[in-house]
Amino acid sequence: MKRLQENRIDLINNYLQASKLDPELIPEILDHLACEAEECLWNGKPFEQVYKEITETADAQLLLNLSVDHKNLLAMEKSLNDIVFEGRNKLYGAYDLRKSYGQTIQRSVLMGVTLFLLMVMLPNLYARLVPEPKASDIAYVVEAHPVDIKMEVPLPPPPAEKAAPSVKTVRSLPPVVLPDNQVEIENIPPTKEELESALPGQEDIKGIEDMGFIVPPSAPVANDKAVAVEVKPKNDEIFRIVEQAPEYRGGIAAMSAFLQKNLKYPSPAAAAGIQGRVFVEFTVGTDGKIENVTAIKGIGFGCDEEAVRVVKLMQNWIPGKQSGAPVRVRFTLPIAFQLN
Amino acid sequence: MDNNATSNEYVRGTLKTIVLNLLAEHSRMYGYEITQEVKDRTGGAIALTFGALYPVLHKLEQEGLLITESVEVDGRLRKYYSLTTPGNEAARDKTTDLERFIEAVRLLLAPRVLTSE
Repeated sequence: MKRLQENRIDLINNYLQASKLDPELIPEILDHLACEAEECLWNGKPFEQVYKEITETADAQLLLNLSVDHKNLLAMEKSLNDIVFEGRNKLYGAYDLRKSYGQTIQRSVLMGVTLFLLMVMLPNLYARLVPEPKASDIAYVVEAHPVDIKMEVPLPPPPAEKAAPSVKTVRSLPPVVLPDNQVEIENIPPTKEELESALPGQEDIKGIEDMGFIVPPSAPVANDKAVAVEVKPKNDEIFRIVEQAPEYRGGIAAMSAFLQKNLKYPSPAAAAGIQGRVFVEFTVGTDGKIENVTAIKGIGFGCDEEAVRVVKLMQNWIPGKQSGAPVRVRFTLPIAFQLN
Repeated sequence: MDNNATSNEYVRGTLKTIVLNLLAEHSRMYGYEITQEVKDRTGGAIALTFGALYPVLHKLEQEGLLITESVEVDGRLRKYYSLTTPGNEAARDKTTDLERFIEAVRLLLAPRVLTSE
């Protein structure tokens, strides 16, 4: 088989390029024509004649028709985009965007619908996944046991308390000062004989005579007829000067005799020939007792101590009184020590 | 030329079937080979022009009945066509369809011959 030289192939190729043939078809047509030419050459025709025949068969009009036919046959598959971008730069990007537009829209609609449905259904889905406890659901089981109900037995009444033994009392009301016509004669104070075996009380109660313990008399009934004026001794205050000075029971003479009898001259003072007066200060209590004995001015040699000792021995002073009430009085007593 | 044109008229409708049938017999063919095969087998009664053949080949390729492979032969690209699986089925279907059609056409043509005689 004779083969076409490259320059001859190029010649045919150039002829096809110059024609209005669809570029897609050129390689195939070129091969086809080359094959035809080769066969003609094989049959002994010179190339020039062959080429002329080829160009006559495949003239410009035929090639154009071929392109149009080809296009029409494939046109069914061609979209508007292919027609719009006919002969334009398809690599620029707009063609791809337009071509994939349908797919993009389809995908985005699907995604949008899915997302929207998810959003709408989400509460429903959640509720299905996490079911709320129904009212009919059993939360917990309680075991029921039969309960025996017994009739309540009334408690036996507590044993009656025996009345506490009361002490025998004799009616002895405090005397009340009343006008003569109102005096009730029946309220006679109890006699001595009665009180020997009973305690004074509000009423006569026949109780046990000798209980061995002393029961305080029951509180006296409030008596609004007379209120006894009680003068309470003023214990707190110590007076220097009072309306009625305290006094040794028996008078100054008795006190002198007491002192004469009890005072002993201390031997050191006697030896030293000490004479003089010791001033002893003490408090006479409301009960007439001597307290806080001190020698405020002395002569020493045991005379002060002797004076304090003897004063402490003294009892039964009559307490001093202020406004009729016994009060504590600070009293100073000079005691003379004199050698004979 | 007239004879050729009328044959072309009939060929146009059956071209797809012819091509598919030829390809079913051969593993792969290229355009010129198909035209030569048709010319040889029919003794030149049917001559496929490249103007008719190639658009049909491309159309079939687009329909997925054919696949192509380009091989460089003698300094130029040669495009070989072969049938796909659906292409094989299509070849069978179209061939039987065409045979049935030809039978029908024969039936249509025959009575007239009978009556005229």
